Amino acid sequence: MKKRNKRLPLIISSSLVALLTMVAIFEPWLVLHDPHVINMAMKLQGFSATYPLGTDHLGRCVLSRLIAGARVSLFTTFSILIVTLIISLVVGIVAGYVGGMIDTVLMRVCDILLAMPNFIFALVIVGTLGGGLFNMFIGIVFVSWVWYARMIRNMVLSLKEAPFVKYAQVTGVSRFNIMRVHILPFVFPQIFLLKLIGLGSTILLISELSFLGLGVTAPLAEWGMMISDSKTYLLSNPMLMFIPGFMISLTVLLFNWFGDAVRDALDPKTL
Amino acid sequence: MKKLALLVLSFTLMLLVAACSNEQKSNQKTSKQEEASANDTLTLSWPLDIGAVNPHLYAPNEMFAQALLYDPLVSYGDNGEIQPALATDWEISEDGKSYTFTLREGVVYSDGSSLTAENVKRNIEAVLQNMERHSWLEAVSMIDKVEVIDELKVKIDLKESYYPFLQELTLIRPLRMLADSGFPEGGSTAEEIEAPIGSGPWILTDYVKGSHAEFTRNDNYWGEKPKIKKVIIKVIPDSQARIMALEKGDIDLIFGSGQLAPVEYQTLQQKGTYQTLISGPLSTRVLAINSTIAPTNEKEVRLALQYAMDRKTIVEHILNGLEEEAQSLFSPGFPYSDIKVGQYENNFEEAKKILDQAGWKMVEGQPFRMKNNQVLQVTIPYRSTELVHKEILEYLQSAWREIGIDVQLKAEESQIYTQKVRAGEFNLTFNDTWGVPYDPHMFIRTMIGENQLGLYVQSGTAISSEFTANVNKVIRSTDENERRALYEGILQGIHDEAMFIPISYRTNYLVANNGVKRLQFTPHQYEVPLSLFELEE
Repeated sequence: MKKRNKRLPLIISSSLVALLTMVAIFEPWLVLHDPHVINMAMKLQGFSATYPLGTDHLGRCVLSRLIAGARVSLFTTFSILIVTLIISLVVGIVAGYVGGMIDTVLMRVCDILLAMPNFIFALVIVGTLGGGLFNMFIGIVFVSWVWYARMIRNMVLSLKEAPFVKYAQVTGVSRFNIMRVHILPFVFPQIFLLKLIGLGSTILLISELSFLGLGVTAPLAEWGMMISDSKTYLLSNPMLMFIPGFMISLTVLLFNWFGDAVRDALDPKTL
Repeated sequence: MKKLALLVLSFTLMLLVAACSNEQKSNQKTSKQEEASANDTLTLSWPLDIGAVNPHLYAPNEMFAQALLYDPLVSYGDNGEIQPALATDWEISEDGKSYTFTLREGVVYSDGSSLTAENVKRNIEAVLQNMERHSWLEAVSMIDKVEVIDELKVKIDLKESYYPFLQELTLIRPLRMLADSGFPEGGSTAEEIEAPIGSGPWILTDYVKGSHAEFTRNDNYWGEKPKIKKVIIKVIPDSQARIMALEKGDIDLIFGSGQLAPVEYQTLQQKGTYQTLISGPLSTRVLAINSTIAPTNEKEVRLALQYAMDRKTIVEHILNGLEEEAQSLFSPGFPYSDIKVGQYENNFEEAKKILDQAGWKMVEGQPFRMKNNQVLQVTIPYRSTELVHKEILEYLQSAWREIGIDVQLKAEESQIYTQKVRAGEFNLTFNDTWGVPYDPHMFIRTMIGENQLGLYVQSGTAISSEFTANVNKVIRSTDENERRALYEGILQGIHDEAMFIPISYRTNYLVANNGVKRLQFTPHQYEVPLSLFELEE
C-alpha cells in the first residue's frame, strides 16, 4: 500500500511530462492555425471557437503559439540537457580520475565560471554574440555545465579509491576503459537525476532571455517572448501576458515535481 | 499538517506586512502630492537619467535637460526662421564667411555672473577643442576662429561660407553657452564640467543619479519666464511603471515619443480621466536600406521592398492611427519638403514582377526566391528593447516572406546594435530622421560622413559619386535657387535609387492629469516645453 503511494507522484508527473513532450513533438498536427501567420484584421480577439485562447497583437492564434512555444522551449531544454551532460561528464571524470595538472586547470576554470551569477553571465554571452536560438543555446550551455562537472569530479574522487577500480588498475585496464566502464556507469544515473531536477531552471533561463528580447527570434514563438511582446498590452489585454506566464510557471513546477518524484522513487532510503 | 499550517500562516503574515507597507507608502505619497501641488510643482517621468547635463556633449546627457538649462546664440522659430536668443543681432559679411553677434545686455547665469563676449568665445573654443566628437556637425568644423570685439560683441570667422551656420547654432548641442564657473579646472569640457550652470529658463537645484532631478524656475531669465515654479523629473525606464506612477499620482505628466506604446496611450485616453494630446508630425520613421551588401546592393531588390510596403496596415493596426502614413522622406513643412519626387505605391504584384525580372525566381520546393543558388534573404537588426519596432518588423517579415523574401530579424543589445549598424552589418534597419532643426540638411549631410549609417545607404548606389558631390555643394551654397536645384537632385536621387522606405511621421504623445493647463507641443521633437505649461491654482 505504502509503496503504491510513493509511486503515485511519479506516475502522474511523468505522464504529464510525457503529454507535454507529445504536444511539443506533434505540434505541426496539433495547432489550429499557423502560429507564425500574421493577420492584422483579427488582432486582439477574445476567446472564441476559432481562437480558443484569442489572438495576439498581430492577429496570431495564442493557443497555437503556446503549443509552438512548448516545442521550442522543450527541444531547446532537452538539447541543452544532453550537451551539458556530455561536457560535464567528460570534464568531471577526466579531472577527477586523471588528477594532477589537468585537474587543477579544469577546476580553476570551474571556479572562475562559478564565481559569476548564471543568468547575468548567460546574458553577457548572448548579448555579445547577438540574439537568436543558437546563441542562446551556447550561452546557457556555457553557464550550466560547471556545477555538474564539479559534482562529478567529487564523485569520481571517491570512486577512484573503490576496490573494483583499484583491481582494474592492477590488471592493466587502460585509463580510458576504466573511466568508461568502471566509473561512468556509477556516475551517470546520479548526475542525470540532478540534471532532471535542474530542468525547470533551464526552462526559466530560456524564457528570461527571450523575455529580454535576446533569446528566440521572431517569427518563432516562445513563452518568454510572448510575455515580453504583450507587455504593452498589460492594461488593455492582460490575458495575453497571463497565459504564457501561467504556462511557464506550470511547466517549471511540473519539471521540478517530476525531478523530485524520480529521485524519491530511486532513493533507496525511501523504498 | 502542522507544516502546512505554518506555511499558510507565514504566507499570510508576509502578505499582511506587504499590504501595510504599501498603505504607508501611499499615505505618504498623497500628503506629499498635496504639498507639491500647493507648491506649484510639476512632476513628470523620463525613461533615462538626465546625465551630467554637459552642454557640449552627447549621450548620456539628455537633450531635453540640456535645453532647459542652456541657451543658444540664436533660436529656431516656429516657421524655421532664425530668432534672437542670447544674441540680439547679427551681421553676416558679404562673402558669408564672418558672423558678428551682438549679445543681449544683462543676461546673467544662474551663478550670478554675466554673459560676456569672452565667455561665448570660451564656450565655442571648448567645443572646437573636442573636434573629433563634433565632426558630424559641419558648423563646428567650419569655424576658423572666434574674436572678441568688445564686451558684448563677438565675431566668428568661418573657413568658407556655409549657409546653415545660424541654423546649426540653434541646436540643443553642442553650441550652447555654459557659465565660466561651470568650466572644469583644465578648461576643457570634453570629459566633464564643474557644474551645470546656464542662463536658461530653469536651474538644476537637486539631482540624484538614476532617481530624480529637480529644476527650479530661473527668476532672472531674460526671456519669457516659466509659469511653473518647480519641475521634478523622475527616472522611470519602463512604460508600465510609468503608467502606474501616473495612476497613483506620483507623476503628473508623460511626454514624448516612444515613452508609451500606442495601445497604452489609447488605454489611458479611453479612461477619460486624463488629458491626452498627440503632436503633429515631428520626424519620419524610416527604414534605411544598405546599398553596399547583397542582396540590397541590387536596385531591383530595393525597389521591390519599396513596393511591398503596406503603410496603411502598419499605421492602422500597429501604430493605432496615432501617426500618419509617410508620403515622403521629410514631412510637409520642412524646408524643401515641397519638392515632388514621386512615391512608390503599395503594390505587391509590382514587387513580385520586379523580382522575377531581376532573376530572383521562385523555385519549386523552396520557400524563398533564389538566384544563382543564393536565397533572397535580408537581415534586419533592431534594438531588443524597441517593442514598436519589433511589431512593425514582425509584420514586415510576414508580409515579405509571402512574396518570397526571407527576412531575418536580429534582436541586439543597444550598444552592440549601434556597433553593428556603424559597421554596416545590416540590409535594412530603422533610421528615423531627427526633425527640426536637423532635417533635411543635417540628415542628408550624415549620408556622406564616415561610419554613418547613411553612408551605407547611398555609397553602393550607381549615383553615389554624383550624390556625394551634390551634398557637399548644397551645404556650402549660399544661393537659394542653386540650393533648391541641388536638393531637387538629391531628393530625386534618394527616391529613384530607393534608398529609404519612409513609413510614418513620428509624433509626440502627451498624457497629463487634469491639473496641468496649457498643454502644447513645439516643433522640436527633443524638447519638452515645460516653460509653457501651467498648473491649476
